[in-house]
Amino acid sequence: MTASMGALSLVRRTFGVMKENGPAHILSIGTIAISFFLFAAFLLLPLNLTSLLEAWEKKVQIILYLKDGVEEQRILQLTGELQKEGGIREVRYISQRTAKESFERDLAGYGGVLKGVKEEIFPASLEIQMDERFRTPERIRALAARLRTIQEAEEVQYGGVWLERFSLFLYTLRWGVWILGGVLVVIIVSVTANTVRLTLYNKKGEIEILKLVGATDAFVKLPFYLEGGLQGLLGAGGSILLLLALFHFFSLKVAPYVSLYFGELRLSFLPPAMIAWILGIGVAAGLLGGLLSLRKAAGI
Amino acid sequence: MHKDGYMIQFFKVYKTYPGNIKALADVSFKIEKGEFVFVTGPSGAGKTTLMKLIIRMERPDQGEILVNKRNLSRIKHSQIPLLRREVGFVFQDFKLLNNKTVYDNIALVLRALGYNKREIPKRVRQVLRVVGLDERVLRQPPLKLSGGEQQRVAIARALANTPSIILADEPTGNLDPELTVEILDLLEKVNNLGTTVVVATHNTGLVAHYKKRTIPLYRGEMAA
Repeated sequence: MTASMGALSLVRRTFGVMKENGPAHILSIGTIAISFFLFAAFLLLPLNLTSLLEAWEKKVQIILYLKDGVEEQRILQLTGELQKEGGIREVRYISQRTAKESFERDLAGYGGVLKGVKEEIFPASLEIQMDERFRTPERIRALAARLRTIQEAEEVQYGGVWLERFSLFLYTLRWGVWILGGVLVVIIVSVTANTVRLTLYNKKGEIEILKLVGATDAFVKLPFYLEGGLQGLLGAGGSILLLLALFHFFSLKVAPYVSLYFGELRLSFLPPAMIAWILGIGVAAGLLGGLLSLRKAAGI
Repeated sequence: MHKDGYMIQFFKVYKTYPGNIKALADVSFKIEKGEFVFVTGPSGAGKTTLMKLIIRMERPDQGEILVNKRNLSRIKHSQIPLLRREVGFVFQDFKLLNNKTVYDNIALVLRALGYNKREIPKRVRQVLRVVGLDERVLRQPPLKLSGGEQQRVAIARALANTPSIILADEPTGNLDPELTVEILDLLEKVNNLGTTVVVATHNTGLVAHYKKRTIPLYRGEMAA
């Protein structure tokens, strides 16, 4: 009972302290919220871009264009050999005729643009679909390289070059997030420390009296630690709410248009564990800010 | 008087501030429980340093200080609040929090010392009566009161935790002669209730008027 009353009184004193220095605290919490918003947004970005990458990887297929004059029997043999290969789910033979028909279908709206074009100019090819677990840029690249060594292969194409680049971009982004996170934590600690220092300065007279009448160090200092921690928590919480609002806006208003160009987008928000981490980092950075400001105010 | 009857004892105490500023040198004295003592001397004599040493705001360079049987050279940092709870401090400039009411100025101390929430209003009114202030001042900020009333509030705050000792550093320095007598009478009344009172002052007329024991200081040393 006494402990809970003590905790309640501590919370009340902390809020009292924060209320007295209201504008500075609002500014500080706002700055922390913006810093965390940037961090959380940069966490959210690779999270969703990864799912986009996975969606695109599913669509990736390798096309092996055959040299002219490869006999039907050899093509059937090649198809059979490739289907036995690990990681390949399906091999579909596209003859010159099928290729031309497909092209005609695609250009149906353009009238007789293909009139008179012979089917010989369309190369026969093998369309190779891969198993899901083999749809990584590295494996696709390795398979494509091996297919190029087939004697009958004229050319091997896959949409992997830009996928690889995108994957590299994501990798860089993920590392960038942590570097950015580190910089932002330093900013948050410094912002909190300065606000707590301002409060300390404003409360100098009161602290002096409390120390003189025999208040314990804990009684004097705890509200300032708590003030720092609370600022961090409110800032981090605010950033999550802001990001959530923007995420919903993007999901409802923007994502449908993006899906038109890039295929179905399955957007996901930060998982609860990550949110808990962000809030935890907020509290820890705030507490550290409080601690640093109290250390600097050595007389207190 | 028996050794246990002393409230404050200084044994060959020295204190020098950075820059080789000598504040106290070879100061020894004893103050009995329930005694009223003046520490006298001009500005810079070391009166404030002496007061600060009693509540461990400063540490001596040499010598021993005993306050209510506690050896201040040996007490741990965590025990300093316990020492200070036995001492009430009154300042020349009152050191009241002007953004709080009179009630809150006194209640703040009681809250810090862990008084029960229900006990605090009773205790605040009680000490206010001791210093002769009306309950109507409770909701007012200190700056709305006269200098004498403000010093009474400061004394009430010092008395709030029923200390064994009251240290008053130039408590009448900002007051006119009439109020000076009022405040000193009040401190005498507090002393009559059993509290040891130490008043630092440069006002020789005041010392002569009250006929109490004096500890005279001059340039940090005990004057003859």
